[in-house]
Amino acid sequence: MSAASFLTGLYPPPVRERWGGEISREVAASGIRCWPDTVAGAARLWLHPTHWPEARAGQTRRVVVVALSAVTAATVLLLRSLIPTTTLTADVRHPATSLWLVPLLLGVLLAVPLPPLDRTLFARLVAAAARTLAAPAVAVAALLALAWSGAVRQATGPAEAALVAYYWLTLGFVAVRLCACVARAAALTTPPGTRRLSAAVLSVGAGLAAAAVQTLAALAASGGHPAAAAEGSALALAAVVTLAAGRDLGSLTA
Amino acid sequence: MHSNDAQMLVLTVLADGPLHGYAINTAIEDLTGRRLGPGSLYGALARLEARELIEAADAGGEAAERHRTMRITTTGRDQLRAELQQMARISAAGLRALGPGPA
Repeated sequence: MSAASFLTGLYPPPVRERWGGEISREVAASGIRCWPDTVAGAARLWLHPTHWPEARAGQTRRVVVVALSAVTAATVLLLRSLIPTTTLTADVRHPATSLWLVPLLLGVLLAVPLPPLDRTLFARLVAAAARTLAAPAVAVAALLALAWSGAVRQATGPAEAALVAYYWLTLGFVAVRLCACVARAAALTTPPGTRRLSAAVLSVGAGLAAAAVQTLAALAASGGHPAAAAEGSALALAAVVTLAAGRDLGSLTA
Repeated sequence: MHSNDAQMLVLTVLADGPLHGYAINTAIEDLTGRRLGPGSLYGALARLEARELIEAADAGGEAAERHRTMRITTTGRDQLRAELQQMARISAAGLRALGPGPA
């Protein structure tokens, strides 16, 4: 993959569809000095979904739904990497430190597209979901079988490292396929309206902001750990991006 | 470059007639001496189109997919005129305040 294709790939899909070829040619012609501006331009456009050109009705809302699923999946992976932690939990037995999850889950629920009322379309939706999730289901089943076999407890050295790598690759694969499933489902369903989607994005952003504040406050109180600082910063960045995009979407309904 | 500056430059060169992305940047280079980066240029085009200040001048097809020609709308012309008049007033006030330049 060339640098121009990679940098063009950073742009939101509706912008790529409209201007992708020209952006690639411009990047290839201008060379390395235009890379920072190209990346900054892509970031600005992700923060402003209302600027995306729509080739099809509802395209922007569908892309936002998929992007929201990607942000949620990335957050889950990030938090999984830091478990066990007492500052940020996802557990009903620790309601105070799990409160951040409420707006996040509410946002995810609000963003769920409406299922098609047509039987043929519904059958296509189920078939697409089954096709997309079959491979990750097999990967998870293999992972569970491995865990229950007891081989994990006996593994040491390179075998242990391979098992850890396999575990994370499986989680990553599941996250990517879930996002792909959302993308395929979004193409066959009615996307949420702009008002509902804006509320969903802002709700997810509020959950991420609460998680970031919780993490950074605990960090400030305890003196800090580099991993927790990185986690807090990543959550804060995700919160800022999500809230900005939600606010921009909301400006359409104001 | 500030995104508003990029939008103003794009509107200015499009006021002269419809152009595609690369030609817009070449016209901006002729005007200012430097090209806009791809992020600034296509960000400005997306924003201006969303605000309905510019629109596609071609109906589609393979050639249009490669080079989408854009033109300024009537609202875009009005907006550009208002911005340029405001800039002219600021420029005149600034030059008056500075007084006569060195000979």
